[in-house]
Amino acid sequence: MAAYPTRRVALAAAVTLPLAAVSGCGSVSVLAAPPRPAPDVALLRSAIAAEQLLIARYVNVLRGAGNPGGATSAARRGDAADLTAVLEPMLAEHRAHLAQLRSRLVVPANASPSPSERAPAAPAAPADPGAAAAYLRAGEQAASAAMLDRLPHAPASLAQLFASISASEATHVPVLDAVIRSTGRTAR
Amino acid sequence: MSSPAAPGPRSALATTAALQSALAAEHAAVYGYGIVGANLTGNRQAAAMTDWVAHQVARDTLEAMLRSRGAQPVAAAAAYRLPVTVRTGAQAVSLAVFLEDRVATAYLGLVAVSDISVRQFGALQVRAAALRGAAWRGSTVAFPGLTASSLAAPRPRS
Repeated sequence: MAAYPTRRVALAAAVTLPLAAVSGCGSVSVLAAPPRPAPDVALLRSAIAAEQLLIARYVNVLRGAGNPGGATSAARRGDAADLTAVLEPMLAEHRAHLAQLRSRLVVPANASPSPSERAPAAPAAPADPGAAAAYLRAGEQAASAAMLDRLPHAPASLAQLFASISASEATHVPVLDAVIRSTGRTAR
Repeated sequence: MSSPAAPGPRSALATTAALQSALAAEHAAVYGYGIVGANLTGNRQAAAMTDWVAHQVARDTLEAMLRSRGAQPVAAAAAYRLPVTVRTGAQAVSLAVFLEDRVATAYLGLVAVSDISVRQFGALQVRAAALRGAAWRGSTVAFPGLTASSLAAPRPRS
């Protein structure tokens, strides 16, 4: 007695479920699963995150240099002004790196942003100009080396961009070394 | 494809061609630095001599890499037409900057090949050229060795 209605319900469900599937997400099923990001998307995202981290370091230092808290001596304020003049062009180069990396990133429009697309937090910058330069130098060296590590896995044109950015970051190191020397600190 | 192709006859030819281009750039740099050094004095002349030696070492390395691949390394030209007339120290420095930019671009050609060890060698040489170029220029650049056309924003396709 109870078997017949149950079978009818089951049959009805079998008929309506595919209809619901088609009407509920018809536009998506036409395109099937969203395309998986190409391997170079992962490489680009890690390169973008590294560049953002470096920019965050520069912004932290420049914020401190623009407002040298507790710096009462004129010499200390002069150091901070010199540091700003040296750092601004290098920060501009990192922003150019970031823009170029982002322009190469092609992802599906409906893809969720990866965690690396949110600005990462850089460690707090030291207030002392020499120590701040050493903090940036460490960031540049790490970023330059990490960029080279991405080369074996990158398609040719991306590998060239990574190599060029790595070289640019390497040229920032002697500039920061000069700041460290002028403030009487030894590079570590 | 997004991953480098497996080494084959065609990629071996591409690697050899890129090595020859880098060698030709190094031949030009070795020639050019002779003129750079002749127009400088003191510390700047000493720097030019150091860089001249670095280019000779790189040239010898590239020749060895080509020979190990069974290729005949390209020879240096007897003379090169310079992009600027060099009579002053400032002009000599401009020539050094030009030479390093050209060398960096040639080594970026090595970074595009599928042989990973050649890629890494090319990248280290791009860095070395960028460091020398920045020292002569007195400032840094965002994209050593890359030309403006290769940095143009790709047009979105519709």
